[in-house]
Amino acid sequence: MLLPKIITKVHDKFPSATLDTTQFAGEDIIHIQGSYNLDVLKLFRDNGFNFLADITAIDNLTLGGFERFAVVYHLLSHETAERVTIKAYVPEDQPELPSAESLWKTADWQEREIYDLFGISFKGHPNLIRIMNPDDFQGHPLRKDYPRLGRKERDDFPVVKRGINKEAAQ
Amino acid sequence: MQPDDIKSNILTTTLESAVNWGRKHSLWPMPFGTACCGIEFMAVLAARTDIARFGAEAIRFSPRQSDLLIVAGRISIKMMPVLIRIYEQMPEPKWVIAMGACASTGGVFDTYSVIQGVDKFIPVDVYVPGCPPRPEGVVESLIKLQKLVETEKFSDYSTTRGK
Repeated sequence: MLLPKIITKVHDKFPSATLDTTQFAGEDIIHIQGSYNLDVLKLFRDNGFNFLADITAIDNLTLGGFERFAVVYHLLSHETAERVTIKAYVPEDQPELPSAESLWKTADWQEREIYDLFGISFKGHPNLIRIMNPDDFQGHPLRKDYPRLGRKERDDFPVVKRGINKEAAQ
Repeated sequence: MQPDDIKSNILTTTLESAVNWGRKHSLWPMPFGTACCGIEFMAVLAARTDIARFGAEAIRFSPRQSDLLIVAGRISIKMMPVLIRIYEQMPEPKWVIAMGACASTGGVFDTYSVIQGVDKFIPVDVYVPGCPPRPEGVVESLIKLQKLVETEKFSDYSTTRGK
């Protein structure tokens, strides 16, 4: 069991980092302040949680939470097969976090996806550009205040006609 | 050559119907497969439904060598400029089949990123319902398109492009 030891270490080293520790469905969730994410992640990586399984984000607009956004890191230890979830909270007025790309290369595209869909930027990321939406896209569609049907971007293309004059043919 | 031979060897027709006859039996499809309809379209080419029977087996993955665009799958806002470019690269005369619910109407994907029917931006001749359509449905659409090609008139191609 690696986890209890590391959680104590986090408390000792970064006393102001942890906001809460909860459990859900048998797995631990550690809620931290966004600015500490790199320190905490490094601690986890160097103490056995060597694999970054996933990064995702949550918009807490209607859910409530410590801050508007939470960037969620799912870590796995190949040694002990333990899993842990780390939620780093990001405020709405300054949605920025240090990039985890220096710790795990796999964070590169994951962070680009979060940047594209949630508008959270990652300081120190080598190539922070949109990954799925077109480059000239405006807005961040997975934010809860983004309209489901978009802002007319799906209707904004030129209408192409064929050479045949269908109206005259009838 | 005997007069009787001439009688049995000459067929009179109009140039228009001769050309349309040739066109309708040699449609060269360009499949634009972006989703499961693209997979289903492969079955249309295979032995059971075999569109070679209708002269449409020459699949070209180059728009410049094809005259039938088969849009098979949902088109996202990132893909639509590509589709428009491909459509414009196809030489006249050209036709379009919207295969499946997504290409025809957007299907269940009523979201910001999916085009609600490619006919909003490019002209579509035949729509195939289904999610995805059965191969027989695509064959039916091909036969319908052949009927359409048969009745086209040279005089309709004109000079009206861009007006």
